[in-house]
This record gives sequence, C-alpha cells and structure tokens, in this order.
Amino acid sequence: MSIVLVGVNHKSAPVAVREQLAFTEEACAAGLRSLVDGQIVREALIVSTCNRVEVLTETANGQLSDSTERVIQFLSRSDYLPRSLYESLLYTHADDQAVRHLFRVTSSLDSMVVGEPQVMGQVRKAYSIALEAGTAGRILNRLVHHAFRTAKRVRNETGIGANAVSISYMAVELGKKIFKSLKGQTALLIGAGEMAELSARHLINAGVSRVLLANRTEGPAARLATELGGEAVSFDQLSNYLAEADIVICSTAADHYVITEQMARDALNKRRNRPSFFIDISVPRNIDPAVGDIANVFVFDIDDLESVVSSNIRERERAAERAELIVESEIMQFQQALRALDIGPTIGALRQKLQDIARLELTNQRNRLGHLTPEQERAVEALLVSTVNKISHPLLSHMRRSYDGSDAETIQAWRDIFGLED
Amino acid sequence: MRSLLLAVLAAYVVAAIHAVLAFINKRRALQRVSELAMLIGFVLHTAAIVADWVIYGHYPLFYFRETVSFLAWTLVASYALVLYRYRARALGTFTLPLVSVLIFIAIITRLEPGGSAETSTISATWLFPVHTTLLLFAYAAFFVVFVTSIMYLLQERELKLKKFSAIFHRLPSLTTVNEIATSSAAIGLTLLTVGIATGMLWSSSRDGRLWHNDPKEIFAAITWLLYLLLILYRSTSRWRGRMAAWMGVAGFALVLFTFFGARLMGGYHVFG
Repeated sequence: MSIVLVGVNHKSAPVAVREQLAFTEEACAAGLRSLVDGQIVREALIVSTCNRVEVLTETANGQLSDSTERVIQFLSRSDYLPRSLYESLLYTHADDQAVRHLFRVTSSLDSMVVGEPQVMGQVRKAYSIALEAGTAGRILNRLVHHAFRTAKRVRNETGIGANAVSISYMAVELGKKIFKSLKGQTALLIGAGEMAELSARHLINAGVSRVLLANRTEGPAARLATELGGEAVSFDQLSNYLAEADIVICSTAADHYVITEQMARDALNKRRNRPSFFIDISVPRNIDPAVGDIANVFVFDIDDLESVVSSNIRERERAAERAELIVESEIMQFQQALRALDIGPTIGALRQKLQDIARLELTNQRNRLGHLTPEQERAVEALLVSTVNKISHPLLSHMRRSYDGSDAETIQAWRDIFGLED
Repeated sequence: MRSLLLAVLAAYVVAAIHAVLAFINKRRALQRVSELAMLIGFVLHTAAIVADWVIYGHYPLFYFRETVSFLAWTLVASYALVLYRYRARALGTFTLPLVSVLIFIAIITRLEPGGSAETSTISATWLFPVHTTLLLFAYAAFFVVFVTSIMYLLQERELKLKKFSAIFHRLPSLTTVNEIATSSAAIGLTLLTVGIATGMLWSSSRDGRLWHNDPKEIFAAITWLLYLLLILYRSTSRWRGRMAAWMGVAGFALVLFTFFGARLMGGYHVFG
C-alpha cells in the first residue's frame, strides 16, 4: 500500500495554470470515479481550491510510478489540456511525504496566509465529495481524520490562527481587546470605501448592533446602509454621532482632518469618558493624530494597522515552527495506527482460534481421561493451551515482524487459511 | 496540621503551574486542571483552617502563621469570585503563585509558643475576629485591584504605542480589567471601613481608647483615604482608566506597608 499525492499550489504554479487544472464539485465527483479503478488506484480524493489542486490516491504496492503517471494523465482531462502546460509545475509526494503534505495543508501551514482556518473546511468538503463518490475507503478515511485531528491540535496548541492578519479584521480584534465584547456596540463609518465596508461586515459578524454611515454624498451611504442594515446619517451632524460611536472607521477622500482633536474631546465628554476606538484607513489621514493623545481614545492609522498585521504574521510564523513538530509526531502516530490496525486484530483472532481448538478437543476427549481432581483438570487444560501457544508463537511473531503495514492481501490470505471471520 | 497544609501547598502549586502554562500556551485543558487543583486545594485549606480552630481553640487568625495562611485563603476565594463573574483567567497566573508562596511561608513558620491566656483575652469578644477577617478580605480585594490595574496600564500603554507584546493577547480586555478593578475597589473599601470600625470598637471595649496612634493605624487611615479618593474619583465619571489604575497600584503599595512595614515600627498592633 502506498499513498501518493500529486498537485500544484500557489507556490509551484501561477494562477493561470491553477485555474485550468481546478475542478468544480461535479467534475470532482465524476473525475474521482473515473480515476479509481480498484487496481492501480484504489482510493482517491481531490482537493481543489483557489490556491491548490491536489490529487491524493491510495495505491497497491509497487504501483507507485504507474499510479503517479495515471494521475498526471488524469489531470489533462483526456488530453484536453496539454501535459507540457503543467507537468513541470507538479509536485509528487509519496507515503510519509504525502501524509506530511496533507497534514500541513489541513493545518494551514501550506496556505498563502499561514494559519487561516478556511482550508480545513475545504479539505472537509473535498472529503465529503470523495465519500459520496465512493472513492474514500479504509486508508483515506483514516488519513483524512488524522489530518483533521492534527489541524485541531495545531490550532489549539500553537494558537496559530489567534491574531488577525488582515487590516479589515483588525477592527474586530482590537475592538474586542478594548471592549469586552462587540455585542451591542455602535460603529460609525465615515466614507463608504471598500475597505470600510469589509471592516463593517466583520464588525457586524462579531456582534456590533448598530452601524451608522456618514458620507458627503448621500447616495452611496444610503445604498450601503440598506445593504448592511445600518442607518445613513448626515455628514454635518458628525460631531453628534461621534459621541454615540464606540468604533469609528474613517475612509474618506478628504484632504483635511474630518475629525479634529476638539471634536474627539467633546465626544469623549458626552460619552462620560467611555473609551472609543478610531480607525483611519484614509490617505491622507482624516483623523488628527493629536486625537490619539487623548486618554481613553485609541487611534490606529493605516501604518499602525499594517505594522500590527506584520507583527501578527511573524507571530504566526513562530507558531508554525511549533506546528511542524506536532505534524511530525502525528505522522508517526498515523503510521503506527495504520500498522496496528491491520495486523493486530488478525493475530489476536488467530491466537484465540487456536486456543479454542485445544479447549474443544479437551471437551470432546474428556470422558476418556477418567476421574480427575479439579486441579488435574485445570492442569490438563493449561498444558494444552500453553502447548498451542508455544507452537504458534514463532508463527505469530513472524507475522507481526514481517508485516510492514502495506499489504492488505497478506492479511486476507492469513484470514482465509484459518477461516477467521471478518 | 502541617501535613494537611503540605497537601494544600501541593494542590496550589499544581494549580499555579498549570495556570502559568495555560497563560503561556493558551490551552483550555491546562486551565481546567488548574481550576480543579485550586478547588481541591481550597477545600483542604478550609478544612485545615477549621481544624486549627478546633485544635487550638481560638479563631485561627492571630499568629503570623495563621494570618499568612488565612490571607492565602482569602486570595483564592477572591480569585474564584473574579473567575466566576468575569472569566478573567489571567488573574490566576499572578494570584496562584503568590498563594503558593504564602502557604509555603505558613508551613516553614513555627507556631509561636501558645500564650493561650493572651489569645483568650484578645479573642474574648467577637469583634476582634471580625476585625481581622474583614481586613484580610479587604487586602485580597486590593490585591485584585492592584493586579488588574497593572493589566490595565500594560495594555493601555501598548494600545497607545501600537506595539503589542506576547502578553497583550493573553490578558482580559481593557473594559473587563477596568470593571474588575472598579468593583473590587468598592468591595475592598467597604470591608476596610467596617474592618477599621470594628477594630476601634473592640479597642474601646478593651481599654476605652479608639485610637492609639500606632504606625499601623496611621497607615491604615492613609490607605483608607486613598481608596476613598479612588472610589470618588471613579464615580465622578464612568471610566477613569489610567489615573485610577495608578491609584490602584499606589494603594496596594500602602496596603503592603501597612501589613508588613508597620510591624517593624512596633506599636500597639504587634501581629500581622
């Protein structure tokens, strides 16, 4: 048994190639069924996202190169795509390497942005497609579940996904750090840019209950207000609304300070000193930097956000180093689990079967032995069982030793010879 | 009761180590171990205090050893309350090691030879145990104010500088620590007030004097004034933050001095 992984990702191939190789959900299921032939390729799974197209297969011993060749050919969609387009961009991993790759992908260590959690959902989706197509069997089931387990461990033990690495999400993260929770808070958007909109959506998802939108021209604000379920407010009334807002996101094209120090001070007084949090993603800046010196007011401009983001990315890289160790230990456990899974029960069943034969013979021949004391009777039974054990021991230990976890046929053969039930 | 206290120490040390590890690794499983160990420690500790009371026949808050042990007990109780109310786990990372040290001190301190006559005269009225108990709980509350104030200052500083250290992501939010500090200061001041009042009543019932002008009393009065100011200052506005946090730190310095320092100057209050 071998596990082979063939594919491209954002590092190995440009998007122009990846998009041609990518599978839709329907193509995925159909492709899986055509790829698995039960001989060379016994099980398969396709992970196709915007950053990667990977085909994971389980194949019989000694068929490694055939199987790889088959997958490469498969990617051409019956020669619809020229192999020269992608062949040199592919990577191929076998066995431990393939397991490692899948574990790293699922744990988001191979992602464009390390630690982003989406990829786990994408692998889960790919797995459910393979399950429905009937191409995920004994080995891949175990492998994928182990990959999820690894991903969970990585997330819980390294905190790799803990800190935001996108500017739009920063508002949520810092907001939670200042306010206990964003539930019931009010956000004010000044200017209706794309980034502001994205931040606002994150804030709403995190529980912000009221969104105010102020824009010079009423149109875009009103549109966005209906879209986000917020209220469009007049730009001239800004100082009034400033006092109501816990979080202010400013992104206008104005070339002057839209929020002056005096406005911020007045708002703070009206708020009875409750802290407020300003995000200025406009260039030139729309919030007077002096606002940041006021106690209980926290101002982040675009540079501040970017430097926090890059320090969080460095934090994630450090976490990724710890994560690699977890991946290595999980690979070892996976190999062990696979090994023990296959041979262990067979050996146990065989030993039991031989002992049962000895006991049955004793019962059948019992009356020929005449009268025995209970001690003598137990001794006879022990004698038989231990003789059987001594004779079968070299055989059983040879089975355990010689089995390398890769040959399902051998095990089945043993089971057939001794008539062991499945 | 030393063997029981050793078990208490073991439980608290386990709790402290797991709290610190949970803080560093942000792992919930470790936090659960810490909370369970703390619970076991607290139950044993309560048993140890009750046993002391029964065996020595006086309220177990008189000698230095008893005081230190009791103080640790009030700290654990306060942390448990904060944990229950605010889920502020980070507080345990700082409280539990201190608690372990206090129990260790209690174990290595020899019980002073029993002046049972002395204890019986002093503990004759219920006022004295109430006085000491309330004050220890007040100190524990002020410790909570102190730790949360430090957390506030650290985080506020990092938010202003926009440079975040590893510790930043592990502390409760600014609003949470501010709320804990505010309510703990109010509780602490109430306990301190009633504690001082019962002390005066007890003293007047004993020798007719409310006030002895000894260092401990003077510093307690200053401490009381400072926390009163802190509460008034906080109540004038919903959120004071930074300045109030500094007062919380300064207040605790005074508490420490009242508790330990004044002892060195001698005077009427000879005990902890």
